[in-house]
Amino acid sequence: MGHETLPMMTYVIQVLTGTIGSIGFSILFNIKGYKIAVGAVGGAVSWIVYLISFYRTDDVVTSMLISTMVVAALAETCARICKTPVVILLVPMLIPLIPGRDLYYTMQHLVFGRMDRAAFYLQLVLKEAGAIAFGIILLTFVTQFLQKTVHYFENKKKIIKHKIN
Amino acid sequence: MENHKLVACMLDMGEILLTSGAEVNRIEDTLARIGAAYHFQRVDVFTITASIVLTVHTADGEIITQTRRIKGAQVDMERIDKVNYLSRKICEKEPAVKYIENEIREIKNITGYPEWLIGIAYFCVAGAFAVFFGGDIMDGAAAGIAAVVLRVMLRIGQRIRMNALFLNMMCSAVVGIVVMVLTRIGIGHSVDEIVIGNVMLLIPGVALTTSLRDIIGGDIISGLLEMTEAILKAAAIAMGFAVLLLPL
Repeated sequence: MGHETLPMMTYVIQVLTGTIGSIGFSILFNIKGYKIAVGAVGGAVSWIVYLISFYRTDDVVTSMLISTMVVAALAETCARICKTPVVILLVPMLIPLIPGRDLYYTMQHLVFGRMDRAAFYLQLVLKEAGAIAFGIILLTFVTQFLQKTVHYFENKKKIIKHKIN
Repeated sequence: MENHKLVACMLDMGEILLTSGAEVNRIEDTLARIGAAYHFQRVDVFTITASIVLTVHTADGEIITQTRRIKGAQVDMERIDKVNYLSRKICEKEPAVKYIENEIREIKNITGYPEWLIGIAYFCVAGAFAVFFGGDIMDGAAAGIAAVVLRVMLRIGQRIRMNALFLNMMCSAVVGIVVMVLTRIGIGHSVDEIVIGNVMLLIPGVALTTSLRDIIGGDIISGLLEMTEAILKAAAIAMGFAVLLLPL
């Protein structure tokens, strides 16, 4: 795609509107109380991380993967602090990353009969959705692994203490 | 008898989780944990998007199987949160079945946000994403107006229990027409951005991501079911918006 030199203001507006989108979807998904605020902050973070990593890597799919992983880590951490399921915090955070535009262009080119461009956008949509899903799964497994490791060593300590006593 | 009621309660909790948009993994995990809390020797849960099958071997050797057919889905995070809280409490205290039944009844009575607030949320989401994808402020306003029309259409469709796919198609067609009229009379100018703002409200992006998650995580049947549903829905929306391409 190449670097597009857009004024800084565009990025600020994107982060702001992305956050508004996150808050709106939180209301549609019936999320209550302070969790809306957590989701909104996460929504802003997800787009900021995406922009930075797009600037560095110049690749949409990689940037989505990185952004999803950062946000998923944030959601896992916040979920442990707030004692709520991870999905509640994670879904609003990912809203700005949803490939709605590319899905629309796929459809548009398909209807106009421009098959080569439709195919291009279709593979882009699948790769983007795949990157988001893969990022979430990866982070889930990493957290589970960490949790189990910590648990294992805590148990070991207890056993050793028991033996000493 | 007590055990039978308990298994029914577990299925109730699973049903609420599944219809509110939780992952299959979470449901199986929650039910297994509750079973362990009541000293069941064995808990087997099989969940797909359309049904839950639950078999338990109780402490005194009884084997109980119950199934539940799941219909309809409405994402509702508050319910997931409340069921999660309830299951934590059950695992800690092992309360009587009566108590769990009461709690479940209360969770089922949870209401969403008032209709006017949801309307505003529709306006904001569509407007915000129209600007997000490169429209100007007037495009945002046009997208917001179209989104409010979309919400009204969706409510009417749900009230008369219209087929979900057909409803999506019709709603996108109406939104397309509204956008066309709005741009003709001078509110907003780039049709693409205005429509994309509304597409964000309709597309099953969350469902697509969840389905891929289920597939990668090993729940292939549920994942494929969800994915098929998402693709069909996207196709229906695309067919609806094709109205924009008519030479009017």
